[in-house]
Amino acid sequence: MLNEKIAKIKEDALAEISLAESLEVATELRIKYLGRKSDFVSILKGLKDLEGEERKNVGQLANVAKIEIENAFSNKEKELKEKSFDFAAEKIDVTMPAKKMTSGHLHPLSRIQYEIEDIFTSMGFEIADGPEVETEFYNFDALNIPKDHPARDMQDTFWLKDEDKNEKVVMRTQTSDVQIRYMEKHTPPFRIIAPGRVFRRESTDTTHDHTFHQFEALMVGDDITVGNLKFMAQQFFSKFFKTDVEIRLRPSYFPFTEPSFEFDINCLVCGGKGCSSCKWAGWLELGGAGIVNQNVFEAVGYPRNKYKGFAWGFGLERLAMMKYKIDDVRLFHSGDLRFIKQF
Amino acid sequence: MKYSYNWLKELSDTTKTATEVAQLITTHSFEVESVEKIGSDFEGVVVGKILELAKHPNADKLQLTKIEVGDGKILDIVCGAHNISVGDHVPVATIGTILPGNFQIKESEIRGEKSCGMLCAEDELGLGTSHEGILLLDKKTKIGTPLSEIMNNNDEILDIKVLPDRAHDAVSHVAMAREIVALENGEMDYDYDGLILPSKKAKNLKIEIENKELCPRYIGAVLGNVKVGDSPDWMKVRLEACGIKAINNVVDATNYVMLELGQPLHAFDADVIGNEIIVRMGKKDEELVLLDGSSVKLTADDIIIANKEKALALAGIMGGKESGISTETKTIVVEAANFVALSIRKTRSRLNLFTDASGRFEKQLDPNLTEKALVRVIEILEHTAGATFEGSVDVYADKVKPWTIKLDLAYVDKLLGVSVPPKTSKTILESLGLKVQLKKDAIIAEIPTFRIDLKSQEDLIEEIGRLHGYDKVENIAPSVSVTAAKQNESRVFERALKNILTGQGFSEVYNYSFYGQRDANLCQLGSVKHLELEMPMNPEQSLLRISLIPNILKNIKENLKNYSKFSIFEIGKVYWPNGDVLPEEKTMLVGAMVVEKKSAKEEKMDKRHESGFFQAKAVVDNVLLQLGITDHYYDTFDGVPIETPLSLWHQSRSAEIKIIGSEKSIGFMGEINPFVLEQFDIRTRVVVFEFDGEKLSEVSQNEREFTPIRKHPVVTRDISLIAQRDVRIDEILMIIQQAGGDIVLDTDLFDAIDFADDSSSFAFHIILGADERTLTGKEIDSAINSITTELESKLNVKMRK
Repeated sequence: MLNEKIAKIKEDALAEISLAESLEVATELRIKYLGRKSDFVSILKGLKDLEGEERKNVGQLANVAKIEIENAFSNKEKELKEKSFDFAAEKIDVTMPAKKMTSGHLHPLSRIQYEIEDIFTSMGFEIADGPEVETEFYNFDALNIPKDHPARDMQDTFWLKDEDKNEKVVMRTQTSDVQIRYMEKHTPPFRIIAPGRVFRRESTDTTHDHTFHQFEALMVGDDITVGNLKFMAQQFFSKFFKTDVEIRLRPSYFPFTEPSFEFDINCLVCGGKGCSSCKWAGWLELGGAGIVNQNVFEAVGYPRNKYKGFAWGFGLERLAMMKYKIDDVRLFHSGDLRFIKQF
Repeated sequence: MKYSYNWLKELSDTTKTATEVAQLITTHSFEVESVEKIGSDFEGVVVGKILELAKHPNADKLQLTKIEVGDGKILDIVCGAHNISVGDHVPVATIGTILPGNFQIKESEIRGEKSCGMLCAEDELGLGTSHEGILLLDKKTKIGTPLSEIMNNNDEILDIKVLPDRAHDAVSHVAMAREIVALENGEMDYDYDGLILPSKKAKNLKIEIENKELCPRYIGAVLGNVKVGDSPDWMKVRLEACGIKAINNVVDATNYVMLELGQPLHAFDADVIGNEIIVRMGKKDEELVLLDGSSVKLTADDIIIANKEKALALAGIMGGKESGISTETKTIVVEAANFVALSIRKTRSRLNLFTDASGRFEKQLDPNLTEKALVRVIEILEHTAGATFEGSVDVYADKVKPWTIKLDLAYVDKLLGVSVPPKTSKTILESLGLKVQLKKDAIIAEIPTFRIDLKSQEDLIEEIGRLHGYDKVENIAPSVSVTAAKQNESRVFERALKNILTGQGFSEVYNYSFYGQRDANLCQLGSVKHLELEMPMNPEQSLLRISLIPNILKNIKENLKNYSKFSIFEIGKVYWPNGDVLPEEKTMLVGAMVVEKKSAKEEKMDKRHESGFFQAKAVVDNVLLQLGITDHYYDTFDGVPIETPLSLWHQSRSAEIKIIGSEKSIGFMGEINPFVLEQFDIRTRVVVFEFDGEKLSEVSQNEREFTPIRKHPVVTRDISLIAQRDVRIDEILMIIQQAGGDIVLDTDLFDAIDFADDSSSFAFHIILGADERTLTGKEIDSAINSITTELESKLNVKMRK
């Protein structure tokens, strides 16, 4: 008897739910079928008066029916909710420009420096530092630069006004001073780079500035060769330019290296065939390099001919100009946000 | 230096083109900066004979000519020159010819007379600068012959950059030809060793060197019967190709030999100087009129050439006007001398006189080169000026002799990283003029004196390496132990800082390390002792910066032309004089926020938080938080004498940033004094923060510790109050914390409104909670109660309900 009643309620409920066309109707139906005063709830309440087996059977049946009805309600309500939501009323014009968020920009030279540092660090190089204001000894003497070398001229180098000091002081003209300072404190083997700011007294134009940045690489051990220099350079520049580059060494001269090289890579624009970027040479000149002069080792207290090493120095500005196609070196120190915000 | 390809070809017998030679030299020796074609083929220009000359009927200065140009062709040509007569052979540019300067010859009518070509002067053919009439040719030349068959000035000029290590020997055609020959494994015909001065003592010449250290050698040669005149064309062409103007046969010969051998020479008029030459130092206030007409005051640091009476020439730099060669000169003394480089360089740089001679002398030359050059110039002057050698005097105290270097052959391979056969090494060194003995494990090399740069084994290895070819060196991975690189802590910190700041919307600028006294004055740093450059580029960049702020303010001024609000920062070094040899270099961080210009009324409408100072303060808090610094606070700021005087800052809107428990400040922030800004043409508010990188790094925590997430709920209660202007918000916050006790976890000011009567309304969220339990309503109410009571009694504020 009760069983039939439950079945009937379920049947009616499911039928009515399926016909409901609004949330209001569905809510009414919910009250009607599952509300406190509904037949179904009174049946459930009456269960306690039943005996043993019957109570168990009816109870089970009633629970199953209740779950079924509730599921039907929630499905229906979900369906009606979705149906009644007016998406069109919420339409926005997605083509409208968003409000600008100001984000900061790292200076292009910082970017380049970090790329370089990361590549070298991955190859086990340490990053070394030295002062930007340097003594004549570290900037010139220890680097085997002769006393009468034109680089020491007032015309080419920023000397500081002498304030009764025992030693002349200079805005360092290259990062090679860091080599000396590092070697004085360490014994080979080691490998370091030293990125930093350097100063030369020259008039500024699109390719020259009196302040610029270099990074020095130095690797010293028992058996370092020119072949090693070529290898490390090839590794670095291939990573830096994200393509396989070829290295060409040409003879050059620096007092602190012997032999000394100018350092070219194949032109990345034309691949070496010759184009306006490389002035039809097929090669791009990047910087100087060489095998550390034994006089330099002697100056830092290493025994002559015990160690061998290579060193190189490149301009960060030049690499940045190549990588980002910047045509005026003076922009780097201009502080002009129209420039910096492009990076 | 500019080298003539024709000349190099003649000396080296190379069969390569100029471009090929340039490539060869670039790869193995020196950088060739350019290869430039000069001269022309004179295409369309032929030899013509003047058959008739007549006056132009309509122009007094012009003549009508009839010119035979071969194959029986006769041209009517109008000509303005008057150095021609019937029967002369002249160069004729026929119709269609393009002359240098892209000047095309067309058939034309000149004052009513037809002209079918042009008779050419020297300059019109690009042969020289003479426009003194039509170039007259040898009457034996066949009519109609293309001009290119009888004369041609075609050449290619190689501009080669010779570096200081070779500047003493390679800046000559003979030396460059020697390189080419060595690179082509050829034989050099030029008999350098055979240039030996005949031992014939000059009777009428005495030479005295007062300071032999500064003048290691001086040879004077007397030449008589000199007929001063023009040099032959071939010599003029070569000099001009190398950028030297032809003057007369004597001067040209000395210049020619300088280009050939690298030794500057000088010729004196013997009748002017007399028979004594003294090499001495200048005297104070002594004056000398130079060849170019300028007058210089000498000092005791200048080497000069003089006779008994007076200075004759500035040694190694420029001759004197009076003793120079004139058309009247009959007898000359040719000087071939060697001076010490440093002294020449000092004098020329003091007098700002850069000449071909000084450029060479200031790179120490080989004293043995003087003799070679002298022999050559005598040889040439005998031919070109009819001169006769009458004898010479040579003062040469310490003769420079060849030296030897022992080269360990194993070292060659070890340094280059490629195996070079010993025979190859020997051949290479010999090709450069060294005398080489090959031993079992070594090479004994005798170095010719002109290779001053070859002193060590490594120098020889470089010669072997570059001639053998660095392209033969394979890329070889170094064999090293795999070790992790030690981190550079300060660089890691700096980089983290930059990343945090860009994340806060700040863009990075790089400024010069210098500014001028004016900038220092404007930024109230004028009285601070700065380090100074001895010779700055300009007065605006004469001081080493002790603060990043002056240049940042200049950046702001410039950027305000394009942007109305922006934020920038710089991390860079400042240089503090400290009495030691080197200054103290500190890495500083300065950030600047430029606030959009607002009227006073608009500013009043702003909520407190929207003002520039508090926007910047939020950035500083964020930066410090990300550096692991949370226990900082802002204290009123009275300026730091010297370093950052209060007058630079807006005295009511600046603060010192400190760490709780420490009185030491880690930095400053605040608006820049509006009167300082005005001096920089900045008419909006600028908020700046400044930190010392090292101090900041000391207090930052890069190790973080996790605090367990609270298990029990927290409750937020809001209070709102009205306070008078003299109440500071940190006082309110402190009372909330103290009165509320431990269960007050945090307090947020979320609203602040200022009223016209000098009072303000503040509203706070108070966040309450406990670690081990859920707070009861009673607990919370009682805490809030004691907070409000305390605030009312201690700060005399009015709670709003």
